[in-house]
Amino acid sequence: MHLSDPFIASRAVRKTTILLLTSVVFFMLFACAASGQRRFSKTYPAGDGVRLDLVNRTGTVTVEGWNRREINISAVLEAPAALIDPQDLSGRILIDVVKDNAGRGDVGNVNFYIRVPYNAMVDIETRIGNLKVTSIRSALVRAHVSAEGDIELTNIMSTGVSAENVSGDIFFDGEIQAGGYYRFTSMQGTINLRIPFPSNFKLMATAPSTRSINLGYFSGGNMRAVGDGRRIVGQAGDGNANIQITNQRGTIAFIRR
Amino acid sequence: MHCDECNELLSSFMDSDLAEVQAAAVRQHLAVCDPCAKVCEELAAIIDLCKSQPPNELVPPNPDALWCRINNIIESEVKPEPLPLPAQARRRLWRFTLPQLASAVLCIALISSLLTVIGIRNYFRPPTDDVSSGTGESQSLLEKLMSKVGLADTPQKARERRLAQQQAAIEYWDRRVSERKAQWNAVMQEKFDKNLNIINESVNDYTRILQQDPNDEITGEMLDSAMDEKMQLLREFAEL
Repeated sequence: MHLSDPFIASRAVRKTTILLLTSVVFFMLFACAASGQRRFSKTYPAGDGVRLDLVNRTGTVTVEGWNRREINISAVLEAPAALIDPQDLSGRILIDVVKDNAGRGDVGNVNFYIRVPYNAMVDIETRIGNLKVTSIRSALVRAHVSAEGDIELTNIMSTGVSAENVSGDIFFDGEIQAGGYYRFTSMQGTINLRIPFPSNFKLMATAPSTRSINLGYFSGGNMRAVGDGRRIVGQAGDGNANIQITNQRGTIAFIRR
Repeated sequence: MHCDECNELLSSFMDSDLAEVQAAAVRQHLAVCDPCAKVCEELAAIIDLCKSQPPNELVPPNPDALWCRINNIIESEVKPEPLPLPAQARRRLWRFTLPQLASAVLCIALISSLLTVIGIRNYFRPPTDDVSSGTGESQSLLEKLMSKVGLADTPQKARERRLAQQQAAIEYWDRRVSERKAQWNAVMQEKFDKNLNIINESVNDYTRILQQDPNDEITGEMLDSAMDEKMQLLREFAEL
């Protein structure tokens, strides 16, 4: 047998390639199994006024508005993998990882990536982990972290917004809608609001420990400090929306959008 | 002569009270008119009957007494008018002592003043969803007044009562968490403890400030909020 024979040479190359590819596939499968990661993906049709309710244990949740009338849920489940059983309750998609895994002591992180129609109401919470919501224009955006995690709400044009954590930063980037209600609460971290100037709202911002409340462009005018600077109350423009911010051991700042 | 005319004159004819000309006309008509003749015969029969019966069966024995009885019966069916109260009792209804009158005047003055004050305050007070009004001066004048006279809790007492309720709930959820905490992984235990400590530090800070200045309403609010946070943290981790 001579390798100089082109037929034999091509066979040898083909064998090597197949061996290599098999090794790669085997290695990938092995790596995946070793890491214990599992993937979950499901799509639901969504009508007008659809609502997403998600309760996660630990992990990152990202919700993004898109221009389709469907909700697409993707999740990466770390070992030991959690059980996920989304429910389609006529106009409401409910994922309750806490309830689905009640009594299971050790459950791995579940990292969600969910796409919803722009006009979907979004109500997400997690015990530990970061929450991100982007491009939503509905009546409700609620993000709640029971303990530790950052909350990032960007490109939000909703009339009802609530973000709450114990420790971690809260960042809101969006427009203040007429008649809207905006509530941001943290025990420790920074709360930053990036909104257009001018905007119309009534404000009550409280930072009792740091007394660091930076109103930026909205300072002066009808804003006044009370309680030795621990709280600022007042009105910007015609004040037809309400903003309530409480940061017990952190700072509050307004940034021009 | 017509029948109507005859009927009108018939009674007088029977009593022979008519002039001869009229009586003749009636007689002529009765001769040719059977219905009128029949009426005349019936009338004559009645007259004969009356003449044949004794007069005491037809005439009441004592008409005056009869009418008197009838009047009595009618009067007995009419409701009697209420008897007038004795003069002493009438006077008692409208007689007040001076302290009673003074108390009544004072009550009326107090109620009207309160209503006026409440009305004015409500008129000038912004709507309840106005967050900028929440500067700690949340107790209304009425509530302050009520607490002054002991009809309502003072802010401090109300806070203490609420704290006691929150503390009871916290103890319950803390027991629930303790039962489950051992099953959590290390990361979760660490994060939970860390965040509970953050809240506890805040609670301790606010409690200390309130001991120095019990009237600090912002600190009171923050303490209330921190206790709620603690309760919520424990409750949500107790589900795991």
